[in-house]
Amino acid sequence: MLIDLRDISRTYHVGGEEVRALQSVNLTIDRGEWVAIVGQSGSGKSTLMNVLGCLDTPTSGRYLLNGRDVAGLSDDELADIRNREIGFVFQTFQLLPRETALANVELPLVYRGLKAKERRERARSALDKVGLTERMAHRPNELSGGQRQRVAIARALAAEPSLLLADEPTGNLDSATGEEIFKLFEALHRTGHTLCLVTHEPKLAARCPRAVRLSDGLVIADGPGRQVALENLRDDPRLAAALRHELT
Amino acid sequence: MNARVDFVEGARIALLSLRTNRLRTVLTTTGIGIGVATLLAILGITQGLDSSFANQLASIGSSSLYVSKMPWVQMGNWWEYRNRKELTLSDLEVVRTHSTYATAVAPIVDSNEDVSFLGQSVSAVDVTGTTPDYLAVSGFEVTSGRFLTDADDDARHPVAVLGMDVVDGLFPMSSPLGATVRIGNHPFTVIGTLSRKGKVLDSSQDLTVLIPFKSFVGYYGKRRGLSIGVAVESPEVLTAAEDQLVGIMRRARATPPDKKDDFAVNRPEQLAETYKQLTGALFGVAVGIGLITLLVGGIGIMNIMLVSVTERTREIGIRRALGARKRTIITQFVLEAVAVSALGGLLGTAVGLSGAKLVSEITPLAATVKPLTIVFGVSFSGLVGLLFGLWPAVRAANLDPVEALRWE
Ligand SMILES: Nc1ncnc2c1ncn2[C@@H]1O[C@H](COP(=O)(O)OP(=O)(O)O)[C@@H](O)[C@H]1O
Ligand SMILES: [Mg+2]
Repeated sequence: MLIDLRDISRTYHVGGEEVRALQSVNLTIDRGEWVAIVGQSGSGKSTLMNVLGCLDTPTSGRYLLNGRDVAGLSDDELADIRNREIGFVFQTFQLLPRETALANVELPLVYRGLKAKERRERARSALDKVGLTERMAHRPNELSGGQRQRVAIARALAAEPSLLLADEPTGNLDSATGEEIFKLFEALHRTGHTLCLVTHEPKLAARCPRAVRLSDGLVIADGPGRQVALENLRDDPRLAAALRHELT
Repeated sequence: MNARVDFVEGARIALLSLRTNRLRTVLTTTGIGIGVATLLAILGITQGLDSSFANQLASIGSSSLYVSKMPWVQMGNWWEYRNRKELTLSDLEVVRTHSTYATAVAPIVDSNEDVSFLGQSVSAVDVTGTTPDYLAVSGFEVTSGRFLTDADDDARHPVAVLGMDVVDGLFPMSSPLGATVRIGNHPFTVIGTLSRKGKVLDSSQDLTVLIPFKSFVGYYGKRRGLSIGVAVESPEVLTAAEDQLVGIMRRARATPPDKKDDFAVNRPEQLAETYKQLTGALFGVAVGIGLITLLVGGIGIMNIMLVSVTERTREIGIRRALGARKRTIITQFVLEAVAVSALGGLLGTAVGLSGAKLVSEITPLAATVKPLTIVFGVSFSGLVGLLFGLWPAVRAANLDPVEALRWE
């Protein structure tokens, strides 16, 4: 088991009021799984991703990553886990604007302390995998949205992490480009990567082997992607029919 | 992840950032540069003053004492000094007989006169009446002709030994020996010339003419204050000789034990001390100004770094998400601050040194800069960058990664 969340809560305090972004979440994810996280805006999807990625620490509960309890770790140790175990892909790409695509992909390897030559080789092969060999020397503003997201995915892959976390990676892309990126994730899943993908598109969630639905910080559904996506459309038979049609 | 990686990567990012924000870099650099330039120019000038003054002091004669009515450096009530008894020739005789350290004792009386020859004239010449012993007391050497003799003194010969400024003024082409010059209204025959000594605190020691003591008294009367110049074997015995002289003089003048000395024993170092106090004060003020300028420059750096941190909040979030430790972020921003200020330090050093050089070329002040000063200037500005860059850097490192990533 790669991920084991037990009773995880994350509470924010905003002006004396409590916002419970996650409430007693229990979730386990095995190696090689591909899990879609779905739910309405504000349901706690990003918070869950940040906790999974050790960017944020839960208010209570236990998080075992690879069997290791993350709770007692120092800030430096968490940074090292992010560096080695986690690959982030964000909706807004989060590339360094002044650096080339290659330098962006190299960055996590720099922090790992790899020698320049090895860094370069690994970054190149990661960019190959996402089909951006030709664009290595370009800066982000010289790339299209889809290309930028590919650079971001290459950066996540270069670190060869245990877990890829993608928070609405297609949210800023048109549907054709989004589809390309999604296909890239399908390919990664086939080669054995463990993936967590936040999306609000039922169509995409339905294509994932497994989906988890959040509502107000609670896990309200967990099952095959298609089932979780359709379940949510019970009250709207026409939309459900349309989705079923699209999936065949 | 180790410190070397932090440093190399931090330096690379710092340089990239400096290159990207050129105008900002130039402005911040200028702030620090001005501080360092001020500090260095002032250090250079004071160091120059110190070393040229040390040379000058050596020329006064470092193993001589001068007994006179008033001290050279007056700290007390001028009236009290003024009402003291003049020194007399019998004081001189007592000193000559009782001082065991003295190797030469000479009377010194002087007057400011114009000295002229064939229509040429040099004004404000220090005309000194003295005896052959003065040569040893003053440290002058005779470069041509001869010095005053006892025979000249006894016979009140109208003979004169000229300092080099007078020679330069009156005899630019010819030898002065044997010529008859007029000192005031009196004719004197030139019998010798003195070695050149240079200036002490901007007054030339070569603007002088030496004549026999008795001739001087004959022409100018006895009213002039008499000083007694005493040469001792070596600078080491100066203090002992001074103490002994004080004793001799008090006994000679029958000063009661409860009364203060009514004469002064002067040493050239006293001038040095006064000078040191003066330049010390100047130095202090100057360093203060330089430090304040650096402080302002440092605050400028802190300000710019805070702006830089805010602007790059997202970048910090990205780096943290990808595994940068806090220390790595701190190193990155501190290096950027240090680079800016060290650059300013380098620039300021160049400007400051040229400033000091310019001063030494267009004014009589000599400016020398020790290599250590340059090292000091650059590393000090680097330190300023470190100090003022640290807080913004720590703030950057302590940003919450999630918040930082969401920053617009
Ligand atoms: N830093 C924060 N401070 C206060 N409240 C927050 C913060 N981050 C998220 N929240 C709240 O937590 C809840 C879940 O947010 P989020 O995980 O971003 O939702 P989602 O990604 O599903 O849209 C929301 O109600 C949001 O307002
Ligand atoms: Mg979200």
